[in-house]
Amino acid sequence: MAVTFAATPRAHPSTVPAKRGPRGRALRRGLTGWAFAGPATVIVVGLSIFPAVWAFFISRAKWNGIAPATMVGWGNYQKLLQDPDMIAATRHTLILTAIFVPGSIVLGILIAVALNQKIKLIGFYRTCIFVPYVASAAATGILANFVFNPQFGAANDILRTLGLPQSQFLENQHLAIYIICLILLWGEVGFTTVIYLAALQDIPRELVEAAVVDGASKWKVFRHVTLPELRPVTVFVAVWQTITAMQLFDLIYTTTRGGPLNSTQTVVYYIYELAFQTQRLGYGAAAAYLLFIVTMVLSLGVILYGRRRGSEVF
Amino acid sequence: MKTSLRRGRVFRLLASGAGAALLLSACMGGTTDDGKDAAVGYDPKANVEITWWTGQTEEQEKVAEQLAAEYHTAHPNVTIKVSPGAPTTDDLLTKLSAGFTAGSYPDVSYAYGNWAGDLGASGKTQDLTSYVNDPSFKWNEIPEAARLVATANGKVIGIPALVDNLALIYNKKLFDQAGLAYPTDNWSWDDFRAAAKKLTNTATKTYGTAFSVSGSEDTTWHLWPMLWQHGGKILDGTKPAFNSDAGVAALETLRQMAVDDKSMYLDQTDEKYGPLFNSGHVAMMLSGPWSLLDIKTAKLSYGVVNLPGYNGDHQTVSGPDLWVLFNHDDVNRAGASRDFVTWLTSAETDPKWNLAIGNLPLRSTEKDSPEFKKYVEEYPGGDKFFANLANAKQARPTAPGYEELSRNVGDAIAKVLQGQAQPKEALDEAAKKSADSIGS
Repeated sequence: MAVTFAATPRAHPSTVPAKRGPRGRALRRGLTGWAFAGPATVIVVGLSIFPAVWAFFISRAKWNGIAPATMVGWGNYQKLLQDPDMIAATRHTLILTAIFVPGSIVLGILIAVALNQKIKLIGFYRTCIFVPYVASAAATGILANFVFNPQFGAANDILRTLGLPQSQFLENQHLAIYIICLILLWGEVGFTTVIYLAALQDIPRELVEAAVVDGASKWKVFRHVTLPELRPVTVFVAVWQTITAMQLFDLIYTTTRGGPLNSTQTVVYYIYELAFQTQRLGYGAAAAYLLFIVTMVLSLGVILYGRRRGSEVF
Repeated sequence: MKTSLRRGRVFRLLASGAGAALLLSACMGGTTDDGKDAAVGYDPKANVEITWWTGQTEEQEKVAEQLAAEYHTAHPNVTIKVSPGAPTTDDLLTKLSAGFTAGSYPDVSYAYGNWAGDLGASGKTQDLTSYVNDPSFKWNEIPEAARLVATANGKVIGIPALVDNLALIYNKKLFDQAGLAYPTDNWSWDDFRAAAKKLTNTATKTYGTAFSVSGSEDTTWHLWPMLWQHGGKILDGTKPAFNSDAGVAALETLRQMAVDDKSMYLDQTDEKYGPLFNSGHVAMMLSGPWSLLDIKTAKLSYGVVNLPGYNGDHQTVSGPDLWVLFNHDDVNRAGASRDFVTWLTSAETDPKWNLAIGNLPLRSTEKDSPEFKKYVEEYPGGDKFFANLANAKQARPTAPGYEELSRNVGDAIAKVLQGQAQPKEALDEAAKKSADSIGS
């Protein structure tokens, strides 16, 4: 970088009079730098930082987007901490995250190990696992609605054939959140599988061979060679999947819309409902900021933990 | 060197932050109404261009564009820029609020009736009160419920664009199979409950009736006519009053059907009960004229009667939508948009709009028009919905904050119908949650 910038004034020595001095050169250097960074900066500032700052101001107001806003200071945040709906939404998000993140990691490793074998049609199997991830959440949701419809769905037909009692699935307020977890796992496990598959193929063969020569069993190789080698990837996957789970919206929108009785209302869905269904933009923005802070603290925590263990992935 | 650089950066950050804060708080403010009529001194001959957001989908949008062209031919000095305004009608409010912030909003926009309070509070709407009360406008030809919805905080902010109401639609074949007499205009809720129980058949997965439990406005507004029939009110001033004995009695009727009789299909999404009715799995549905098109496509033999009543009171609820007129501090634009909407909603033009796209006619005088006759032939029961407009005697509140109240009531209804709460406690809780929502 420095070479490029230093070369610019030197390329036209005659046009730059020596008396301009270091100040002029610094200015010119700065301008050249900004000419490169400028367009991207404008986009980042205009489309990310500006709305984020604006959202912060909105979060300190009572505003419906149309009538004049009233500034309420930290009132929205204080109200949020006591809002039973917000607390319930947080609980649902935590349940979802607690099941989904470990679930997708364990399943991802298991399927990746299985798909890492030399067997016939391996390409076909790999594609099969990845297809649900490529399908849009809208398609996944609609498909899930067909399967889990209590009156007309396939899942209840299977239960009936097996002689088991019928279930309400997505229409049962105690069950719905777990069914959502299941659908989400089905959709997302392709992603973790592909990541782990790549990571498995990156493990140096010498390590495995050395362990085998030393007399390690297959399980011991997996436990003491493969798993430690997968640790950096696992940190990445954990952070990524946590963010996915905490920001889950589309699947809920296409299946339960937060119901029954708000039992699948996650924090993000609650924010959507506040801001765009009941037009409480200020309150919704405050909820969004709380979610942002929590997500950031969690991600930083995982990254710091990862760094301390010596595996830098971010 | 390093410290001064850092100090400069901090200063610049602070300065831009403060600048942004000023700019942003300016964006969040509204305009105060100066009380002047927006079209005083309007010159009908002036060249103007007005923007019209129709909020319609493809087919209807084409009709709107034809009408705008027709108007332009008759008034060459008025150019109308027609567009749907937003991908769906629901998105219009978001587009409008963004437009207010950016200063580029239309002259005329479609709006759901329950947005009236919020839009009125924006200070960007025209005050049409004296304009529509001019005898030549024939304001009284439009149903009262629709006129009430067009009035926010005592000011008329728009002209009704669409009127509808809830009635009882039933599937004749399912009644014949069960050997039951068809519903009548004089049914009580007890008759309704008894029939629903007999029509429910778990073996064929048939339900007597259906109710949305999504907690949205679709859930909530089905309760209002029952509340009114019992003599209750939604609001008392700005305080919630729906948790009165009337409200509890109304919700108890529904609870008995959903929980005790299990004769009610509970729809978690608002979107399933219509198709289930059309496929013959729901025998009776409380719905409006918008359902007729799908029922007709499903080739169902159906009938339409008044909502069941309490003590002979068969009040219903109407969900009128509006053409809201906005003020751009330009008398000619304001005047031209008034003239255009007056033309659009007149007894001469409205049949070419509402009746042509399958809605009820706006004005009572249209019932003798050939278009209305054709509409009734095409959609049997359409005349019943038209007559039922007279039963829409009360309107939903147009105060800002109704959306929030509606959501709380919807959640309460959903809880009760799914057996998770009793009507009294659920409505009390909803009233407590909504205590501060209205008018603030």
